[in-house]
Amino acid sequence: MLTEIMDREFVYSGHVGCPGCGATIAMRFVLKALGEKTIMVLPACCWSVITGPYPLSALKIPVIHAAFETGGATASGVRAALDMMGDTETTVLTWAGDGGTFDIGFQALSGAVERNENFLYVCYDNEAYMNTGIQRSSSTPYGAWTTTTTGQDWKRLRKKNIVEVLVAHRIPYVATASIAFPDDLLRKTQKARETKGSKFIHIYASCPTGWRIPSEMSVKIARMAVQTNIFPLYEVEDGRKYTINYKPKEYLVREYFKLQGRFKHLTDQDLDQIQQMVNEDWELLLHKAGDRS
Amino acid sequence: MNEAKNPNPLFMPITYLTTESNKTGSWRFLHPQYDEKTSPCSVACPAGEDIARIEMLASQGLFKEAWETILRENPFPSVCGRVCFHPCEGQCNRRELDMAVAIHSLERFLADTAIRYGIKPVLEKRPSQKQRIAVIGAGPAGLSAAWFLSMLGYACHVFEASAEAGGVLRWGIPLYRLPLNALLHDIQQVEAQGVTIYTGKPVSPDVLEIMKKDYDAVFIGCGHGRGMSMNVPGEDLKEVSEGLDFLRKLREGETPPCQGVSAIIGGGNTAIDVARSVVRLGGKALLLYRRRRQDMPALELEVEMALEEGVKLQELVAPAAVARDEDQVVLTLQEMKIAGDEGGRARVAPDEGKTRKVRIDRIFKAIGAQADEPRHQPPAGDEGLLSLSHTVLVRGNQGPVMVFGGDLTNETKSVVHAVASGKEAAMALDTLFREGFEAIVPKLEACRVGEGPSLSMEIYMGGQRRLRNPHVVRYEEINTDYFGFIPRVIQPRLLKEERVQSFEEIDLKISANLAMKESERCFNCGLCNQCDNCFIYCPDTSVMRDKDHQGRHINYDYCKGCGLCVVECPRNAMSLREEES
Repeated sequence: MLTEIMDREFVYSGHVGCPGCGATIAMRFVLKALGEKTIMVLPACCWSVITGPYPLSALKIPVIHAAFETGGATASGVRAALDMMGDTETTVLTWAGDGGTFDIGFQALSGAVERNENFLYVCYDNEAYMNTGIQRSSSTPYGAWTTTTTGQDWKRLRKKNIVEVLVAHRIPYVATASIAFPDDLLRKTQKARETKGSKFIHIYASCPTGWRIPSEMSVKIARMAVQTNIFPLYEVEDGRKYTINYKPKEYLVREYFKLQGRFKHLTDQDLDQIQQMVNEDWELLLHKAGDRS
Repeated sequence: MNEAKNPNPLFMPITYLTTESNKTGSWRFLHPQYDEKTSPCSVACPAGEDIARIEMLASQGLFKEAWETILRENPFPSVCGRVCFHPCEGQCNRRELDMAVAIHSLERFLADTAIRYGIKPVLEKRPSQKQRIAVIGAGPAGLSAAWFLSMLGYACHVFEASAEAGGVLRWGIPLYRLPLNALLHDIQQVEAQGVTIYTGKPVSPDVLEIMKKDYDAVFIGCGHGRGMSMNVPGEDLKEVSEGLDFLRKLREGETPPCQGVSAIIGGGNTAIDVARSVVRLGGKALLLYRRRRQDMPALELEVEMALEEGVKLQELVAPAAVARDEDQVVLTLQEMKIAGDEGGRARVAPDEGKTRKVRIDRIFKAIGAQADEPRHQPPAGDEGLLSLSHTVLVRGNQGPVMVFGGDLTNETKSVVHAVASGKEAAMALDTLFREGFEAIVPKLEACRVGEGPSLSMEIYMGGQRRLRNPHVVRYEEINTDYFGFIPRVIQPRLLKEERVQSFEEIDLKISANLAMKESERCFNCGLCNQCDNCFIYCPDTSVMRDKDHQGRHINYDYCKGCGLCVVECPRNAMSLREEES
């Protein structure tokens, strides 16, 4: 990692993110990689709150607060305006949560990338609507408790595979990244900045409050998600060329699940079933990457 | 639409202040802080070497600084890198992940590198003091005492009976374990520090009396050079001799006769040294030990190599009688049986009625040693005596204070324990001169490494190391996510066929590349190596860079106390405390 990149800072102290917030770590990394020539479009999400009440801002770059469902559309407009002004250098970044990406902002995102708008869409994924009170989203994983999937009614549906949805749009660059792997995250963000067209990075950003984990464990949990293949690190170029960036040893998913309060109701059978689902997804990814014939 | 003519311009709220006015530090109820701790290896090292830091410097290619860090606690890196029994490696936290760091190989590498490039160490030295100190015996204990005393500003004169300095290192360890130049370099290092060594100067009781008038203190470290008696009939036959005397003759350049079979009695390193030397001189060596192989005090690796080289071992036998039979000797052996356990080793007793005889050509005794003369021992009784962990201080009514050290007072007789005793003597004398007799014990207590028995001269002299938390880092406190499996360096050695041909050093050098790789395996338990994880992962941008030795500090105006920095510190160099209200 280049020290001068790691050393620059675009997030002020004093923001109101929860202690141990993974989304804030993700923001720090992405802005370090993109630099000051960046305009951010911020649909409703945790970060709309984290950045502080009017007239404060926790970010050193221009930010446009946008409506929940408009991340893709607003970014398209900002890009068009910049292009008209002859500014092709500035990166347009949409910074959205999983709700604003997987669910509410989905059509605007799909439309923008279908047009191959020249912008970078980052989804920081904390696997539920966290700032409104931990309601389930289509990103909430199988087995999770949320305030809308309580008790024995825990979520029994799989998490939407948003990366594959974006890959299906055949855009130039789609990648997953994790706050626990800064080198990889910074490299992918820089690669996205240098790629023309629509880019999508899916960042795994743990949420101590919503996941019922101690604040000091948020990076550890994010690392375990990668180590257990629950959240593999890979990138896809032009919708075809898959590269897996990290091949973990055979860690068991139960190690990851048993550390989190949102999964504490799961039985051994449930965990075995989840292990099978994770293995299946991993095998599928290996096939796509050409590591299995 | 023309903006200028629009009577109702678009209202767009724009932020104009930063969140820095929001002091989120008020949320905090846990308080992270930089808190360097103590590594288990440094506690296990009798000389208290700052091993975690030595390896950190070595991994950064700072070989000179790493070597100087050894020298602050031990003037014999070249020697100890070769012959020390490295208890440090036995406590290395890395053992739980894969294998211990090869600390002794790295120590030797650093010393070899310093020799090769003729590096002169730059070490802190106190201004000159008025007191003069005499040291009797230029073995590892005496030279260490002189080294540390001269660091503390005292003029030291070392008196050695033999023709050359080094003591047991010069006369008692075979060249294949400790080549002469390795030893000479460390001794020259001590002299370069300002110590004067007088060789060929035995100190008789009369000379000692004169000395007492000239010096403010006398350190006595004459070592254990006289063999013990087996107390069996026939022991005084000329075919029975001392293993230590045999080794000494070898190191003096003689080639003592070794044809036929030599029996060596004992299970310590001296016994192994004699047996392996006999093999190298073309003889056959029969090692006789009263307990079992696993009970031997000798280093396991030494025993293993000895057996590879053709030394024969008979366990559970004790000598009962020696008799001459024509030009050979017959040794009667009493067979022993295991009669219990004694601190992890077998306790043995004679298996009554079971004896056997072996015909051999000579016998070497290596069953332990004692002081050459009773006057070398500290006096009995408690009057005016201060018994410390490695030394005994004797304060007479008149005349200078006497300090007994090295093998004379150490429970474990090893080179590194001798170094520990020299260091303890230096600290005790300095405290005595500056603050008085009563201050010695509390002062030494304050210089312990962790809560263990080892002492640190760097702590004594007020170095950075004194700021460390004495808590000894445990394996569970290391964040092993940051350390993958890396095999330990394989020490290159001569083949056994090459070994038995000569007294060439067996352990070969390792390259700088290998040494750096090996030192990178070190967890640096409890030390900050500036990895920057605390800065990288802070969600609150509250770890700030600065220019002090830590390189960074926590901005408590904003730190919310999430604890991420503490958990993501790979080396446990941070702590989380409850906030004081």
